[in-house]
Amino acid sequence: MNILIPHRWLLEHLETDATPEEIQKYLSLSGPSIERIYQTEGDSVYDIEITTNRVDSMNVRGIARESAVILNQTKIKANLKPLNIIDKNSLQLTKELPMPKVFNNPELNKRTIFIILKNIKRAATPKWMAKRLIQTEMNVHDSAIDITNYVTHEIGHPIHAFDYDKLMNTGGEIHIVEAKKGEKFTTLDGENFATVGGEVVFKNGEGQIIDLPSIKGTANTSIDESTQNVLLLAESIKAERVRFASMTHAIRTTAAQLMEKNVDPHLAEPTLLKAIELYQDLCKAEIGSKIYDDFSAKAKSNPVKIKLKKINDYLGLEIDTQKIIKILTDLKCEVELQEQGRTTGLVVTPPTFRPDLTIPADIVEEIARIYGYHNLPSLLMDTPIPTIYPKVASFQLENKIKHFLSNIGWQEVYTYSLISEKIALESDCAINQHLKLQNPLTDDKVYLRRSLLASLEEIISNNPQQKTLSIFEIANIYLPRGDNKLPDEKLILNLVSSADYRTTRGALELLLDQFFISNYKIVDNKKTIKPFSQSAEIIVNNVTIGTIGILKSGCVGIEIPIIKLLKVAKTHPTYQPIPKTMPIIEDLTFTLSKETAVGKIITTIKNIDELITGVQLDCVYKHNHTFTIKYHNLKANLSVADIEPLRKTIVKEVEKKYGAKLVGEV
Amino acid sequence: MKTKKTKVKATRSLYDLKSAITELKQKFDAESKTDIENLQNRYLGKKGLINDLMKGLKDVPKEMRPVAGQLLNELKANLEHQLTLLGNGATEETADKIDLTIPGLKPKVGHMHPISQAMEEITHIFEKIGFTRVRYPEVDWDYYVFESLNMPPNHPARDEWETFFVDVPKHKQMGKMVLTTHTTNGQVREMERLKSKPPIRMINIGRCYRRQQDVTHTQMFHQFDGLVIDRGIHIQHLKGTLDYFAEQFYGPGTKSRIRPFHFKFTEPSFEVDFSCHICHGTGKKGRGKCKFCKSGWHEVGGAGMVHPNVLKAGGIDPDEYTGFAFGWGVERTYTLKEGLNIDDIRLIYSGDLKFLEQF
Repeated sequence: MNILIPHRWLLEHLETDATPEEIQKYLSLSGPSIERIYQTEGDSVYDIEITTNRVDSMNVRGIARESAVILNQTKIKANLKPLNIIDKNSLQLTKELPMPKVFNNPELNKRTIFIILKNIKRAATPKWMAKRLIQTEMNVHDSAIDITNYVTHEIGHPIHAFDYDKLMNTGGEIHIVEAKKGEKFTTLDGENFATVGGEVVFKNGEGQIIDLPSIKGTANTSIDESTQNVLLLAESIKAERVRFASMTHAIRTTAAQLMEKNVDPHLAEPTLLKAIELYQDLCKAEIGSKIYDDFSAKAKSNPVKIKLKKINDYLGLEIDTQKIIKILTDLKCEVELQEQGRTTGLVVTPPTFRPDLTIPADIVEEIARIYGYHNLPSLLMDTPIPTIYPKVASFQLENKIKHFLSNIGWQEVYTYSLISEKIALESDCAINQHLKLQNPLTDDKVYLRRSLLASLEEIISNNPQQKTLSIFEIANIYLPRGDNKLPDEKLILNLVSSADYRTTRGALELLLDQFFISNYKIVDNKKTIKPFSQSAEIIVNNVTIGTIGILKSGCVGIEIPIIKLLKVAKTHPTYQPIPKTMPIIEDLTFTLSKETAVGKIITTIKNIDELITGVQLDCVYKHNHTFTIKYHNLKANLSVADIEPLRKTIVKEVEKKYGAKLVGEV
Repeated sequence: MKTKKTKVKATRSLYDLKSAITELKQKFDAESKTDIENLQNRYLGKKGLINDLMKGLKDVPKEMRPVAGQLLNELKANLEHQLTLLGNGATEETADKIDLTIPGLKPKVGHMHPISQAMEEITHIFEKIGFTRVRYPEVDWDYYVFESLNMPPNHPARDEWETFFVDVPKHKQMGKMVLTTHTTNGQVREMERLKSKPPIRMINIGRCYRRQQDVTHTQMFHQFDGLVIDRGIHIQHLKGTLDYFAEQFYGPGTKSRIRPFHFKFTEPSFEVDFSCHICHGTGKKGRGKCKFCKSGWHEVGGAGMVHPNVLKAGGIDPDEYTGFAFGWGVERTYTLKEGLNIDDIRLIYSGDLKFLEQF
């Protein structure tokens, strides 16, 4: 959460010579990060990011406290000024008004503190206060309203101004309870809500909601133009209850964002006193009651024991014990040194506003950051390098695929793992065989995909300016495995291309060559496998390693699970002796009918004789297919006469089996 | 220059013939090519040098004669060709002159996705200092994503507002099934893989998911998460590792710095910044402010010393071992590279070729 702090407001709590730039630099290194300095209304305003565990710093006083400790370390003079507020015993009570009765549930609320202020004069917010509200991006109304926001920003505890008379008219009782489902309330800005059950609310004696505490006031008790008497109240609803109600109803007020992070209930009193002082000054308020304070759930921080050795272990160097103690006491911790020789340790009791300090590592962090991380050396580990590697790792194979395919003209893409219902329906698996998100953000990302092909086809169609486009992705698909089991995350290589089948298949064949896989077959699939309209299996050593086929869009798609490729891929070939004899290579051209499967002809020719060592389809012109045939005898050179009978057999077989016609004569 | 006609001695072997041919060629090359007619007579004439060699054929052993004859015919054809060209006033070189200013024909190539390029580079950098790359589930149990990482059940990150839940029944021990919001889910898994026995030096790179979408966030993104656990590991080692990475990934002179931050799974926790390559960490450019960075530094990600509860969840004794961890978005880390200038992270997953082709 970011907070805006004007420099001059800070100086009301901090005595220092540091420039705004110095404060920015050193706070960012050792404390909250000052992301920017704005110039607003004639002053530097710090824009500070404060982590959720440090709600104690989400106010002017907290930043002053941090600044004092941090700046002191850098030798820049800095002192936290004492908190300048009125003494609660000095309040002059004039004619007491009856107090409302509070019925607390300590399980829900840690503290309730309030006072009644009488006869307030409604006055415009004074210029000095309006300026600070503008600098910190708060709205300016009038004094009676703005004082509560102002003191929250200064001291840190949210506080609410009720219209005392409205509250008493609802029965004068405050019951701090959990709401049931369906109870209605209207916030002070006129919005209507119904509870979902479980929100902590203030109710009157008749069960009517009269406040959404720590979040926002309700219209039936909030101050308006006619308000004369105010009940100024701070309560401390448990943090998780505040977050629940605030998130459920999307009411994200500053109060809610603070209270959901465990504001120290001890801050309620100084915040209240500061507000009383301002109501007296600006609204001529009179004190209408004593301060009511029910703080039964007061808890002191637990002490944390830490050995000095632990601090050295984390920092890698020794820091002087007195320096450590100084840092911690500056941070308002109580520190007790327990000397026991080598196991000397500290007992550190953090202040109540630091509930984040609970274990030794928390104490280490405080010492280390104030000492300055930038003051620690930087070095690499001299410890042993682990050598137990995961059993299956395909990273190298994946990288080789990515490099190779991109080098031969394929574009790698990354697409979302989440798909729409429409695309899930188009896959080979029923919709209920897909894992579904319980809380998708958008309609197009609802199911975990079981195929990448649709996502890649979409990219092809989204890039119509490309004449032909070949893309690939290596990503997971997610196969459910039943109750109490995580899905099988299967890494798949997918290729989709708008080029023709031969070109695309050529890329696949080249890829297999890269992994020295030579004995593969591409075998027609008899049945249709969605989303292919026609497909064939890629078979290596009688095992199917993937599918190639035609997609609905007419593109060619290839799907290969990485694990299957990994099993057959090799990193190097088996060397074949270079033949001493020369092969004879010749072309034969056949006219084929449209239905003829060329792959089968090639198999037929190869199987005729072992001297036929290679058959390749060369060019195709209309129905004429030219095959390049390689005859090779490794033992002796073949003569033209040797191959003549083979050639005749080829022609005979191909013509007989496939109804083909040789172009030319044998 | 007048060359004295020399009688070529009779050759007896193919080897000798070959040397004689080479000698003749060199001789021809050395001639001044002014009097073409003269050359024609001296080399190709009836009593020319070629014919002299031809006469020597009969001295070559019979079985070698066809080869020898072929060699001589080639020589003759070659000289005839050259003399014809010379007669036309042209030399061989001018005939084949190539226009070197003509633009090249590039073979078509594709491109590895920028995220793949970044992941490969990141892996390489960490592997050099002994990290093992691993991969852990994207769809994982609440236990590994939150519970074992010291994140209490009421932690905001576990809200349905920030995390995607899978619509399946809850596991009794492991909790809800979620899309992991960070690669930190690999930490306790890695400790389990190594049977709770350090040393551990892991780099886990993978896909993560969060319920958010704007200029700087996509529902899916990539992270890398480093984890080092052993005896005697301290904050200086984390700083050393970060400085090493900064220098390797962003170039010489890049520095890292750590500042206080808050994460549940580390204590102390840090925000990691790398120095801006434009202003080198000064925040100033000439007399003005550096426009590329906020203040000399870029926020990149988080880091910290592994929280004792996380070590315990992985079966490692926090009194004996310490460790550090860091985790950053791959996209964010990559887009900070000098001069890259990607201003909308959603482009990375748009599949727009006009974008992808640039990498």
